[in-house]
Amino acid sequence: MNMSKELTAATAVPTILAILQLNSSYGYAIIQKVREISNNEISWSDGMLYPVLHRLESEQLITSYWQSADTGRRRKYYQITDAGNRELEQITSQWSIVQHALDQLEKERSR
Amino acid sequence: MSRQKEMSSSFDLECQIRKWKSHLQSQESIGPEDLEELESHVRDSVEELMNKGLSIEESFLIAVRRLGEVEIINEEFAKVSTEDVWRQLFIPAATVSDAKRNKLELIIVLALAVFGGLLSRIPMLFGYVDLDAHALVYVRNAALFAFFPVILYVFWKRSLTLIKSLVAFAVCLVFAIVINAYPSYEPHHTQILGAIHMPIIMLYLLMYFFGSSYPSGWRHPNTRLNFVRFIGEGFIFTVLIGLGGMVLIGLTVGTFELMEIDIAMFVQNWMAPCGLFGIFPIAAYLVEQKKNLIESIAPVLSRIFTPLFFFVLLALIGGFFIPFTAVWENRSTLIWFDIILVLALALTLYSMGAKDSQKESRATVWDMMTLALLLAAIVVDAIALTGIVIRLSRFGFTANKSAALGENIILLANLILLAIGYIRYGRKKGTFGHIVAMQMYFLEIYALWATIVVVLFPIIFSFA
Repeated sequence: MNMSKELTAATAVPTILAILQLNSSYGYAIIQKVREISNNEISWSDGMLYPVLHRLESEQLITSYWQSADTGRRRKYYQITDAGNRELEQITSQWSIVQHALDQLEKERSR
Repeated sequence: MSRQKEMSSSFDLECQIRKWKSHLQSQESIGPEDLEELESHVRDSVEELMNKGLSIEESFLIAVRRLGEVEIINEEFAKVSTEDVWRQLFIPAATVSDAKRNKLELIIVLALAVFGGLLSRIPMLFGYVDLDAHALVYVRNAALFAFFPVILYVFWKRSLTLIKSLVAFAVCLVFAIVINAYPSYEPHHTQILGAIHMPIIMLYLLMYFFGSSYPSGWRHPNTRLNFVRFIGEGFIFTVLIGLGGMVLIGLTVGTFELMEIDIAMFVQNWMAPCGLFGIFPIAAYLVEQKKNLIESIAPVLSRIFTPLFFFVLLALIGGFFIPFTAVWENRSTLIWFDIILVLALALTLYSMGAKDSQKESRATVWDMMTLALLLAAIVVDAIALTGIVIRLSRFGFTANKSAALGENIILLANLILLAIGYIRYGRKKGTFGHIVAMQMYFLEIYALWATIVVVLFPIIFSFA
């Protein structure tokens, strides 16, 4: 299923924050994780992720640090901040409101 | 297995990646750090695809394709990038309501500029018309005239609520009353000291308004560092606009002189003060509009002047020790010492704001230069402090000397803490974040001291 551009954009932030809440990660791994948890249904174009990460960083919702992998190559890791955790909590509760409303309509329709 | 493949044609991959990188590099919005991040991504991608059995060329092509067109990446980066300068001082609004808000903002800023100018004319209502005779009235209120419109602008810009800002506004009002209601007798030293320290208090208040909408709060070191950047950039804008204003005034006076019309009074009473105090909200607006326009200048400025200042300080120390001069004999030497020290501290603060601690995780030669500057400044401050103490013991405590003593002690403590921070950072015992956090919390002490000088000094020194 091809998700609309708007919905992809709207869900990108909470998805990224939720992934980073599990543990700190780097761009490539985040994309892999998104594919994995959505059974390949959500696939972001790889280049789109980094601007979003950088925006979140400039909003102090996440921070970043460089770390060398075993191969000696450096990767930029991102880590969620307290503000990021709060933000995620807020977005999640907003989403559950939407989810609940849609479920409600679904129930009424099937009645 | 994959390692073997890599070995057999690794030259090709490296060459291809280099080509691709140089294409990315030519895009204005992609900085060196972004480049490394994207390269790392492509290499991860290539590795995984090769593990699935694709050839190295296929893997590379697919990895690059997945990342997207270079021009589109650039565009995406441009939206958030800090390196995206120049192109649009006025960012086209994304939506209609944004466009409306932009227009409203411009109107508000212009209104605040006029307001700032008129604010500085209030003393005229109280009969303080002659600038020369009543200079003190204007001097003691200058910080209020300059910063209050900026505070109002930031208050609006950050959509702060009145209730949350009530205390800060009240503090502002209290200071306005204190500086104007306190009596002042000859030689007006306490009042002049108050006027000198008012900008620190106003800046501290502005910092509150600036930072209180940040998710991490206005006390957080990163928020405060952003405020330091804001002020630095605002300062540059102020100077630039001010230079333009001086040219404008010069032209006006010159032209009317040719026409033999005397407009000196108009310029002195209206054009110059309204122009001067109108600059500040405009400068704040420009910084907010294009936060990144000056950021690329700040590191250049601090890097140019850090070594130069270091040599000035060395020369000062040399001038003190070689023909052993008793600096304490001369009051104005001490004042100049202090000004230079404050500038040295400002330079350190600036290079702090300019440094990208993400990009430069280790101490660079510039940090060492800053440390050298700090150490030289500590020596100079110690000399100045000795001078002040000797003058104090000889002439007793006056308002000016007590203020100088306090300032130099605080300055010395700050410089020493900074130097310790930089040394620990250089020896990898502390991070750059520690230095920033220390410095940002130290701002409290400056605000506290300024409050003491403005509020308590006149009382202690009986308003003289």
